[in-house]
Amino acid sequence: MFKAIRRLWGSSGKFRTGISIVGVLIVLAILHPLFSWIIGGTQDPLAIGGYDPWEVPNVDHWLGTDRYGRDLMAMTLDGLAISLEVAAIAGILSTVIGVVVAFVAGYKGGKLDSVLNTTTDMFLVVPSFPLLLTLSAYLKHVSLLTVALMLTIFSWPFAARTIRSYVLSLRSRPYVELARVTNLNDFQIIFQELVPNMLPYIGVGFANAALGAIFALVGLEVIGLGPSNIIDLGLMINWAISWGAMSLGAWPIFVAPVVFLSLLFIGVNLVNVGLEEMYNPRLRGTAGA
Amino acid sequence: MIDHSRVAVAPRSTGDLVEIVDLGVYYNTVGGVSKAVDGISLEIGHGEILGIAGESGSGKSTVANAMLRLVRPPGFIASGSIRFRPGNGKPVDLLQVDEATLRDIRWRNLAYIPQGSMNSLNPVMRIVDQFVDVMQEHGTSSAHEARQKVPDLLGQVSLAPHVARMYPHELSGGMKQRVIIAMAIALQPDLVIADEPTTALDVNVQRMIIQTLGDLRDRFGMSLIIVSHDMAVHAELVDRVAIIYAGEVVEVGDVHQIFKRPLHPYTQGLIQAIPHVGGARRRLEGISGNAPNPSDWPSGCRFHARCPYATEYCRANHPELLPFAEAKSGNTGTTPRVACHLYHHPKEMGVRGDQ
Amino acid sequence: MTSSSKQIELNEVTQVFRGAAFRQIGGELTAVDHASFTLTADPPQIVSLVGESGSGKSTIARIILGLQRPSSGQVTYYGKDIYSLAGDEFNRYRKDVQAVFQDPYGIFNPFYRVDRVFWTAIKQFKLAKSRGQGQTLIDESLLAVGLRPADVLGRYPHQISGGQRQRIMLARVSMLRPAFIIADEPVSMLDAAVRVLFLNILLDFKQKYGMTTLFITHDLSTAYYLGGDVMVISKGKILERGAVDDVLVHPRHPYTQMLLSSLPTPDPDARWQDRLQVSAVSDATVVPG
Repeated sequence: MFKAIRRLWGSSGKFRTGISIVGVLIVLAILHPLFSWIIGGTQDPLAIGGYDPWEVPNVDHWLGTDRYGRDLMAMTLDGLAISLEVAAIAGILSTVIGVVVAFVAGYKGGKLDSVLNTTTDMFLVVPSFPLLLTLSAYLKHVSLLTVALMLTIFSWPFAARTIRSYVLSLRSRPYVELARVTNLNDFQIIFQELVPNMLPYIGVGFANAALGAIFALVGLEVIGLGPSNIIDLGLMINWAISWGAMSLGAWPIFVAPVVFLSLLFIGVNLVNVGLEEMYNPRLRGTAGA
Repeated sequence: MIDHSRVAVAPRSTGDLVEIVDLGVYYNTVGGVSKAVDGISLEIGHGEILGIAGESGSGKSTVANAMLRLVRPPGFIASGSIRFRPGNGKPVDLLQVDEATLRDIRWRNLAYIPQGSMNSLNPVMRIVDQFVDVMQEHGTSSAHEARQKVPDLLGQVSLAPHVARMYPHELSGGMKQRVIIAMAIALQPDLVIADEPTTALDVNVQRMIIQTLGDLRDRFGMSLIIVSHDMAVHAELVDRVAIIYAGEVVEVGDVHQIFKRPLHPYTQGLIQAIPHVGGARRRLEGISGNAPNPSDWPSGCRFHARCPYATEYCRANHPELLPFAEAKSGNTGTTPRVACHLYHHPKEMGVRGDQ
Repeated sequence: MTSSSKQIELNEVTQVFRGAAFRQIGGELTAVDHASFTLTADPPQIVSLVGESGSGKSTIARIILGLQRPSSGQVTYYGKDIYSLAGDEFNRYRKDVQAVFQDPYGIFNPFYRVDRVFWTAIKQFKLAKSRGQGQTLIDESLLAVGLRPADVLGRYPHQISGGQRQRIMLARVSMLRPAFIIADEPVSMLDAAVRVLFLNILLDFKQKYGMTTLFITHDLSTAYYLGGDVMVISKGKILERGAVDDVLVHPRHPYTQMLLSSLPTPDPDARWQDRLQVSAVSDATVVPG
């Protein structure tokens, strides 16, 4: 499998670029406590009233400060970390649920498949965003985990759908029949034969679920209905709007989160496209190997 | 309704219809340059059926692709020319003409039936509309005129006129293949190239298709190139056979000579690997070894590693495709050409006289 | 012979497929229609099942291999219905009856090296006590089919040819020493020269290891070459059966006669003299005489 990743790196410029962007963002997010410490020194750069409010970007505060005197660089990195955390949790959870449901339904078939399919469809049909709005109106002060769980409920069906159709196509492959004739049980067949061939699709499914979660959360917060006790990129945008930051000339509080979100979006999509080109030969402009 | 008479039609003109000279088609791959077709020269006369035989990976389908300039990157035409002299047009080099002229030639003078094309009929269009599509694209008739011709074309492949109103999924495999053939001859081309036209068809349908293809020459005077790995198809249908191995022609000759007195050891291996129902019960031998890698053709004669007669001379020297007059076939007077040191350098091989 | 001997018996096996896909033909398709025959291991035999595509021959293979439960009728081994076997008896059936499939490309899971098909079989059927013993077993079986271990072991499926892949499948079978081999069109996708090598190995297996092969094909000439017995099947019904030298040289059933006359002969001096009358609305043909 690592050979496949190395091959992807080598042959696809899009994959390289995408992974690099995402990689840098992840590193920044992981290291955000370090950056906070560098920026703040002894004090907490995000404490209210820590610095003078509305400072223009300068040597001490690369992105300036906000209305309450909080350093914006630290806030942005912090927010990035939180957005990625939510994405990771919601992404992993919904992928795991989606994969389990998809494999059981796709491989076993029959009545179990029908039941699971209908369940998936029910979740898909329900309009997720209005429901999220309603939920968040009741849950103003929630933890990160709760938010992630809420988002998971609405993103797992997408993963399940895509993966189930791949399972269906793989299920009747000759090597699966060979495995059955070699007396492997269903469990062994799913994990040893099918899952390894689906890793790129599961990866794409995860990336999409994660992105979906980030932007669902951003959407909620920009409207002002997200949980307000966690500062993340979406909330920053909301504050930028409600404080009229642009008209005050305080552009960093708006621009920084937008730039990072855009980079994340572009990065993940480049990875997706790179993966798709690798695994769907018809999309390739020129054949690699 | 169906004309069963086998009227031999005189060829449309004399001289060669197509002359392929030193064709080379290479592919740029991660592992280097793959020389799928490496210096192939062949000619096809008017009203002649030429078979191109060889195993998978030998390059035979690539030759067919190249004739219509259908080679896509990472493949490219590395060398050679393909001179085409249609009955009613000027001689051209198919590899050099501009796109507009090529589009004119395609379908009107030169038709191509790719492998598995019966499965690429448009599933949402009726048969008649697909004909009209093709004829309008490449011919000068209006939609109305094209529509008039369809029942006739279907009749030429023994299909009923009402098939025109049907959709592809309503047709059986053999019927679809016949539709494809009818579409290919819609504009009365001089040459039809068919790539594996009988593969994946049931055996009685195969016979029907072979008969239909034979009719194209017998009744309409068209030349045919049949690319197939199945030697029995060549035995039933073609006039001459060219054997392709490792991107080269290793033997070309009259079909009777190829089957009765194959010259090249590879041809001999191919011919004797065919089981014959009702024949004597004996053990057949395959050809030992594996097909070589197009990115790394063996030195000297490309068949030397698998040849029962190979010597050191074969490993060092690449044989030329040259005529061998001693095996001239009585029927048509065609002199076979073979690329093997046994025939052209017998002394170096330690061979005396006839084999 | 009592029913407790080593034979696979098919008794009025019928397989009917129902579903929306068959709406045009009345809602159901009878793929196998009351098929009955017996395969014995003692003495070993080669039986060819010849039919065109859609004749039901592959469905019969899957039924015998335990992959498809028939709608009615029984397949018995040592007198017991194979679909009611459990535990050790089922494991024994799996070991005694092995398969070779048609598609040399699909038969290997592209994620793993080709060695894995051997090791999986060794593990499942406990063929070796140590790694060294297993490796020896693998090397021997490869040599038995004319392959050099160094040429194929350690490689991925796409790195070796179709002929080598099918021979690896035979090597795997020889390692398991089953009593029965069910071969479903194993040479259709191979070139002529490699085909002969494969068929010779099947003949050797009968000679050396006493294995009985059910050889499923649409190609009468390969059935003839293998010798032994032949059954001709069309539209799910077995129409004619007997020794190859009898049925294929003096066919009695008109369908067999039609198949034989349609076979292209590899002799340019013996071309078809008569003209086929083809139907204008189907693939049906009438051969004069």
